[in-house]
Amino acid sequence: MRTARDMGLVGCTRCMRVAPLGTALCPRCGSILHSRDPMALQKVWAWWLLGLGCYIPANLYPMLETRTLVSTQSDTIVGGAVTLAQHGNWGVALIILVASVVIPVAKFLVLAGLAFGVWRGTRLSQARQHLLYEIVEYIGRWSMIDVFVVAILSSLVQLQALATITPGRASLFFALSVIFTMLSAQSFDSRMIWDSARPPDDQEDRQP
Amino acid sequence: MTQTATPPPEPPVTPAGRNLIDRISVIWLVPLAALLVVLGVAWQAYSERGPLLEIAFDNASGVRAGTTELRYRDVTVGMVEDVSFAPGLDRVLVKVRVDQEVAPYIDGDAQFWVVRPQVTARGVTGLGTVLSGVYIEGLWDNSPGAAVTQITGLPDAPLERVGQDGLRLMLRAQGRASLVEGAPVVYRGIEVGRIGRPRITADGASAEAEALIFAPHDRLINSATRFWDTSGFSFSLGPAGAQLDFSSVAALVSGGVTFETMISGGTAARAGDDYTVYPEESAARASLFRGDDSEILTLSAVFEDNIAGLTVDAPVEWNGLRIGQVSALNGVVDEDRFGDGRVRLLVDLAIRPGRLGLEGGAGRDTALEYLHESVARGLRARLASASLLTGGLKIELVDVPDAPPAEIETIEGGDLLLPTTESEIADVSATATGVFERINALPIEEVMAEAITLMQNANALVSSSETRDIPGSVNALLDETRGVIGAPEVQALPARLDAVLTEMETLVAQIAQEALASKLSAALSDASAASQGVSDAVSGVPDLVARLDAVAQKAESVEIDALAAELTALIRSADALIAGEGAQALPGTLNTTLEELRHVLAQLREGGVVENATAALGSARDAADTFAEAGRDLPGLIAEAQAVLEQARGTLAGYAADNGVGRDARAAMREVERAARAVSSLARAIERNPNSLLLGR
Repeated sequence: MRTARDMGLVGCTRCMRVAPLGTALCPRCGSILHSRDPMALQKVWAWWLLGLGCYIPANLYPMLETRTLVSTQSDTIVGGAVTLAQHGNWGVALIILVASVVIPVAKFLVLAGLAFGVWRGTRLSQARQHLLYEIVEYIGRWSMIDVFVVAILSSLVQLQALATITPGRASLFFALSVIFTMLSAQSFDSRMIWDSARPPDDQEDRQP
Repeated sequence: MTQTATPPPEPPVTPAGRNLIDRISVIWLVPLAALLVVLGVAWQAYSERGPLLEIAFDNASGVRAGTTELRYRDVTVGMVEDVSFAPGLDRVLVKVRVDQEVAPYIDGDAQFWVVRPQVTARGVTGLGTVLSGVYIEGLWDNSPGAAVTQITGLPDAPLERVGQDGLRLMLRAQGRASLVEGAPVVYRGIEVGRIGRPRITADGASAEAEALIFAPHDRLINSATRFWDTSGFSFSLGPAGAQLDFSSVAALVSGGVTFETMISGGTAARAGDDYTVYPEESAARASLFRGDDSEILTLSAVFEDNIAGLTVDAPVEWNGLRIGQVSALNGVVDEDRFGDGRVRLLVDLAIRPGRLGLEGGAGRDTALEYLHESVARGLRARLASASLLTGGLKIELVDVPDAPPAEIETIEGGDLLLPTTESEIADVSATATGVFERINALPIEEVMAEAITLMQNANALVSSSETRDIPGSVNALLDETRGVIGAPEVQALPARLDAVLTEMETLVAQIAQEALASKLSAALSDASAASQGVSDAVSGVPDLVARLDAVAQKAESVEIDALAAELTALIRSADALIAGEGAQALPGTLNTTLEELRHVLAQLREGGVVENATAALGSARDAADTFAEAGRDLPGLIAEAQAVLEQARGTLAGYAADNGVGRDARAAMREVERAARAVSSLARAIERNPNSLLLGR
């Protein structure tokens, strides 16, 4: 498989224009052109750590505080899903659980796996790695669904004394966590997947 | 684009930096900054954390870790972190994380209690806790003290509120007095304190409760202050009349205590002093004097009249001033002293010397001495009415100026016996009965009955058919009258009268025309010399004429005038009859009268008055005719008279001095005179009774 780099070109990751190697800035969109970003993996790991760090309080603190006339209830993400499930709302509970737990956790794992694979090599095929990366990049933003739910609920249910829903502390951390993981996924240079599959000598072999 | 054979240019690869800075991305600063923020926040939270306070409660209902707050002046200053049991499970330990800024003020004097909703007669408190859950309220002073970590909470809210200071007293209920938790202590209508939770005293005899009198009202309390219960109401009927006592509706429901300092000179109260709460004001007042028994002068008095109405506690008055009260009532039978076996009323009087207003203190002995003097001057005790309404009695000490000498006796047992005098009891009931009897005796019913009868009679009179008939009868009468007047005969009367008058006129004219007078005059002038008597006799003729004239005039005025006058009189009589007082019988009589009247009128019309009148007039005309004829004969008569007179003159001339002739002539003259007198009497009779001429009777 030939890469752009093999052909002496560099692709803009933002607008997809190809420019000759050595061009510093994309002639079309003006972003910095790197054939391979040397710091990409560091960025991935840095955002990944931040995201994970935010994800811990996001699960420990309450996500939603519901004050009604007689009681005040605060639920964490998992606790809320469990409560919903206990009330029989399996569908909603499942959606929350998938969007707020399964997807972020899977994202952390996949990102870490990809970064590790690029760094140390992996047994997965390049095509599969790329597919995983596509999924992570696409599905990552859907984790925000929980934040949206909280935002909508807390703006709608403001009946003062009767019932009030306010976003808990976890919602901020959760939103930060999602943002950081998205940044992490964005920092990942998917071209490295393809680089990692090729032994370094291969490059020299092909050089005439 | 075609694939070129030329290989692509070698990509410029930046060699790895030698130093660490070149090899590490600046992106690592972001997590580093996050870490610093986290650490900073954690440190701040830890450093600002206040101390943990452990409060022990009997029970912690509603207290939950992480939810229940500690409040001071209704501001949250802490949060319960843990609820656990003390060793032995006899208490609940509530661990409260207290804000650092208030922690120094929480010292050993701090009080904590759990605020729960309470519904009492005085209102609802802690309503907010129904929804928000209970909270722990703390109360402490404004000065920092030694920090404590363990403290015992109160089972209930203390009496003090934040910012309230005051005097703590112990109130002990006496008799029916009741102490209600949270009830107010009221002074002159203002709440000046509050009663705490009552409990039974150790001896089980009464209930006691702590009370807090708020500053600055606590200065109202001294040792002479008496408390009494104002809850509920009391109704009493005593010597002072009916009394209904209650202070306020709120106190009626929720209870309350009030107080008054009844005498001056008490010592200031100290915190924790004991006070008794009396069931009512009178008891509280009485207690003041019960307290100083040594100052009570007890006297006795025996009253002859044993009258109901005197009760224990009835006032003893001197000149209207209450100087004591009746302390006991007894009957006494003492044949030796009183001479008979009758039961007499023995009254014990508790007299307070202080009320006598004596100088130099009001000692018992001073007062007794003064009373001795007063009795010597005529002071006596007597029973008097205290209340007109209830008939209650009181004891009065009065000065009786000319009382038989007496003194305060000392009888067996050391009692002092005050001399008594006649009672002055206004028997209200008797007086009232008298008044009522007098009112009762008024013949109101008779008056009313008569008035009713009068009204009924008047009504019957007015509404009787006979009365209603009167107008009809009057109408009929008037109709009859009109009929009589309108009768053709009556109508014809004037014409007839006119004819009579004409004839009369003719007669008189004839008499005038006859020139008899001159002849007569001549005859008389002849005779004048002969005899004065003859002259006198002849002089009756003009008189006769005048009389006839009068007769004519009478006849003229007689007719309808008289009839009308009589009818008028009749109607007036009927009128008078109608207007008369014998109204009861009037209608019938009136009707009858009217009937008769009508009958008379009918008769009058039918039978004949008019005819009679006509006949009378006819007779009158005949008479007049007769007169006319007489008049016509008169010249003859006069001629005869003349002849006679000539004869007489001849005779007189012949026998002037002859007595016999003179005697004959005198006899003739006498005849003439008699004839003239007869005519005169006829004329007089006609004058006297013209009707007879008219009516032919």
